[in-house]
Amino acid sequence: MSSRDTAAVYTEAPRERRRNAQNAKVVPAAPRLRLPKAVRRLRRNAPMYAIQGLNELSTRLREVTGREVIDMNRVMELVQFAYQQQQLAKRGPNFTVDEFGFDAEWTESFLPVFKALYRDYWRVETTGMENVPASGRALLVANHAGVLPWDATMIKTAIFVQHRHPRHARALVASLFMGMPFLGWFLRRTGQTVGHPDDTRRLLEQDQLVLVFPEGVRGTGKAYADRYKLRRFGRGGFVSTAIRAGAPIIPVSVVGAEEIYPMIADVPAVAKLMGLPYFPVTPFWPWLGPLGMIPLPSKWRIQFHAPVHVETHPPEAADDQNLVMSLSDQVRDTIQQGLYDNLKLRRGVFV
Amino acid sequence: MTSLSPQRVLITGVSNPLGAEVARRLAPQVPFLFGCDVADPVSANEEMDFVHADTRQSVIGKLVRRLRIDTVVHLAVIVDSGREDRATHETNVIGTMNVLAGCAGPSSPVRRVVVKSSQAVYGARPDYPSVLAEEMASLSRGDTSITRDLIELEQLAHDFALRNPECRVARLRLGYRIARETSLGRYLSQPLVPTFAGYDPRLQLLAEEDAAEAVVRAALGVQEGVYNVAGDGVVLLSQALAIMGARSVPLLPPYARWASRVAIRSTTGVRVPSHLTELLMFGSVVDCSHLDAEFRWRPVYGSRAAIDLFAQGKSEEVIEAPSPPQEYELQVYLQRRRRERRNGTAGHAALTAGR
Repeated sequence: MSSRDTAAVYTEAPRERRRNAQNAKVVPAAPRLRLPKAVRRLRRNAPMYAIQGLNELSTRLREVTGREVIDMNRVMELVQFAYQQQQLAKRGPNFTVDEFGFDAEWTESFLPVFKALYRDYWRVETTGMENVPASGRALLVANHAGVLPWDATMIKTAIFVQHRHPRHARALVASLFMGMPFLGWFLRRTGQTVGHPDDTRRLLEQDQLVLVFPEGVRGTGKAYADRYKLRRFGRGGFVSTAIRAGAPIIPVSVVGAEEIYPMIADVPAVAKLMGLPYFPVTPFWPWLGPLGMIPLPSKWRIQFHAPVHVETHPPEAADDQNLVMSLSDQVRDTIQQGLYDNLKLRRGVFV
Repeated sequence: MTSLSPQRVLITGVSNPLGAEVARRLAPQVPFLFGCDVADPVSANEEMDFVHADTRQSVIGKLVRRLRIDTVVHLAVIVDSGREDRATHETNVIGTMNVLAGCAGPSSPVRRVVVKSSQAVYGARPDYPSVLAEEMASLSRGDTSITRDLIELEQLAHDFALRNPECRVARLRLGYRIARETSLGRYLSQPLVPTFAGYDPRLQLLAEEDAAEAVVRAALGVQEGVYNVAGDGVVLLSQALAIMGARSVPLLPPYARWASRVAIRSTTGVRVPSHLTELLMFGSVVDCSHLDAEFRWRPVYGSRAAIDLFAQGKSEEVIEAPSPPQEYELQVYLQRRRRERRNGTAGHAALTAGR
């Protein structure tokens, strides 16, 4: 039913429609000022001329300064972004979302923004991408840091930009955020879902990549002094779910997210008042207002580790608490070791 | 023993549009069809014998035994009501209790009970899983009165099934139906629709036709347990509004549900039940694979097809326009004539006793 004749949609009742049709009069088109042909042509071609001019300027500047001043590839990405937004607006209600509310086309239209953050702002270096399967289910387990979950967006961008077969990783979010206006809507539309074992199982059974942060808000809400120290991994529920769904676990270490908002203190009283898990105080927030929400440009490294093949265990092993906890610790140790390794490889916090 | 096709079927709540459609579809498939309700039927159906009876009274038990009913289709459950008063609660809970009590006991001829429930039994909350399976209805004790009623009446039906193993009970959780007279349908039909700011819920819709078909299949079948019945796929509220040619006005305050209900009612005149305001914030999607596996049938219209159909004004008319009084008189006359003709053959005295 995707190609529907829009002209056939009536909002009024048949009788009313007939009456309106009888009362209708032929109205001559309003005399509009018609611009001369040359001006109209110019208006139509203006974006093209602008790009051509910018290209010319970029070439000249490169010749004069000897280095790239205006990168035309980036400019074209921006143009593409604008074009994509225009195309998205045109599709009207003719699109489908999956049962989780994920709109792939819409999500991909935001990619240029996240790509710019990925390449230019945080200069993310990604290793071990070959450990992420090109198809089939897998559970990505990562450390969680930074006051806002920018690390999730960067892991998702890495998999979409650097992988041979671009895939959407579906992150699991605390239900608290899913209920918030605008935020919950955005998260759902871009493929996130509630961190409920049932949702995880359903996504894995659809052979999706699922991204989970077992630390949860304990990870994002920790103080700057505790950076790169992994918190408790819950009760290892993610291991049970992976065993039941027969999905390998891929540990992911993210270095750099801890420094984007150096959290000096937490004000639990304000957090409680606002219904938030924590209320951070950073050198810039809340002193600078919305400006304080701009993350710092730290240098990031993301490493995808070799998969832990928990799917070799039979499904009933998911109830073996001893096995589950030992696998959970194994994953946790891999991530922690990966953090230390990548911290050594990073020359400085901002370079 | 009576897993054969049903012989004598009683439909409660037959005067609501769904009941009328179910009666119309069942009539050619069963030898004897009875309907009861507190209100007169809205359309003539001479295949059916209509009885004025209130499910809140204990007359149902007598009716079932006198008419030797073997299949009860309980549709007198109010889900889509803006008035959440005592009467609604009594119809839903006390009514169901009465009907089930009437079907219980060793002297009861009833072997099949179908109870109408709704997707509203789950409620809608942000911390629920995105897709709800049948066993998740017990996640909460119910945030709204209709949800609480539905949980209670389903519990009654469940207990009844345990206590009467010779009687097969099916509970159908019908999805949010979209038709002219449902409040969701009327809400979506407004030219300017007030919506909650910052929310775009996932809706799963059920075409009226499919709802009736599901009830008919359940009445004729032997499947036991709980079944979700809803269309395939998901439609966002914003999509639904665009398809309906409506403009959304995102002005409702998200945290004041009561105030938003008043706001919707005062601006559009639609009394929105409180469980629907939850739906309009957080959305609700159910898993129908259990229905598919047991009934080998799934709704013909997906959510998108249902809203497209509704928007084009083609959504099948479940009932004819309310019939004039003559038509009701005609129906009564035809029924009487049919009875008189049958009276020659023995064993149908009960038919006349019913009225």
